[in-house]
Amino acid sequence: MTPPNPRSLLCELTYRCNLQCPYCYNPLDLGNPRDDLDVATWLRVLDEAAQLGILQIGFSGGEPTLRRADLVRLVERATAHGAYTNLITQGTFLDAGYLDELLAAGLAHVQISIQAPERVSAFAIAGTDVHERKLQALRLVATRDVALTLNCVLHRLNHDALPEVIAFAEREGIRKLELANVQFYGWAYKNRGALIPTREQVERSATIVSAARERLRGKMEIVYVLPDYFEEYPKPCMHGWAQVALTVTPDGRILPCPAAAAIATLAFPTVRDGSLADAWRDSHAFQAYRGTDWMPDPCRSCDRRERDFGGCRCQAFLLAGDAGATDPACSKSPHHDLVVALRDGGPAPEALPVPRRFTASA
Amino acid sequence: MSYRLARGVRLQNDADGAPVLLIPEGIVTLNVSAAATLELLDGTRDAGTIAELLAKRFEAEPAELTGDVRTLLDDFVERGFVTT
Repeated sequence: MTPPNPRSLLCELTYRCNLQCPYCYNPLDLGNPRDDLDVATWLRVLDEAAQLGILQIGFSGGEPTLRRADLVRLVERATAHGAYTNLITQGTFLDAGYLDELLAAGLAHVQISIQAPERVSAFAIAGTDVHERKLQALRLVATRDVALTLNCVLHRLNHDALPEVIAFAEREGIRKLELANVQFYGWAYKNRGALIPTREQVERSATIVSAARERLRGKMEIVYVLPDYFEEYPKPCMHGWAQVALTVTPDGRILPCPAAAAIATLAFPTVRDGSLADAWRDSHAFQAYRGTDWMPDPCRSCDRRERDFGGCRCQAFLLAGDAGATDPACSKSPHHDLVVALRDGGPAPEALPVPRRFTASA
Repeated sequence: MSYRLARGVRLQNDADGAPVLLIPEGIVTLNVSAAATLELLDGTRDAGTIAELLAKRFEAEPAELTGDVRTLLDDFVERGFVTT
């Protein structure tokens, strides 16, 4: 069966980053920046994306603005193809001159992340003192004709500051605030014991968010998704494996989701070996969990199988050791006790997260 | 009250020629009448003027369209795609 064409592409331009956030979803092995694709290859990838009819392009990383001049060329190319471009950045390199180059190239949307609503906590989480620079970038972007989203990843270390995060966004006149509960992939998975919020935090936050949404209706949109570990059913991850989106990693691997490189049992195609279309239509990795035929029970006979698609393949691999298992976040999963143990295992206040970093070999 | 597309919101056609609204990290598919309405937003026209222009194009009575135009624009303002 020929799948529908993908709608969006995430380009991870480099895993380099000047921050060391322990909740990063990037893989533990960040590889070697010398293997980052060159700009000519990225331009070809964008051309192939256009041939597939992809209209949404995200530039992420690592920190994509570390590929300063390259990023401008890529935004320009994607825009020339009629695609909408999103920059996912931590903002510390966005000065006025550079921002205006990106906007002239056609950049449509900037998402800037903060680690906490004030400098000291943000420093502690990011491992570097950049909160004030982020604030400057936010204020700069707000003066330009471009969509701006403020993002804050929530975890045990900053969940209690949620009211202050919302107040911060309000003070800065933010129109869209994305409160993303940490998802446990890559570095975040390694640090899950230190990062998983308590049930009390999650419940309190839900109340705070719904009150804020009511109060700020028409002024600020607040996106807040409950962490799947605290819900009965898994998230409809990526709207199903290899259904609407693909990701290209800094070294050129083509993935059905940004976290999929963790699945050691699959060999992913690369942009060096073939086109995005080849990968999307013909590769084993993309077909492995597409649709519903691969599903085991309880998914196979579940009436939610077309709604949550068996949940997340990466989470199934990380927790249950089998990417073809029902997502353990699902209460019907035979491995659900793994999630329960992590969720209800009790606080580990002494557990310090490990900062994200390249290994010595890099 | 006049309307325009919100910052970072773009109206265009997809690869099959169908009208879509491109928003931050998202794509909203549009029907023909929604697309025709959004094409007329220029930051100066109000709902009545837009309904008149649509009425000419689709050979209808402006009064019949005004309510639909208001409903659509209210909805899109609420969803952040359009600003006043």
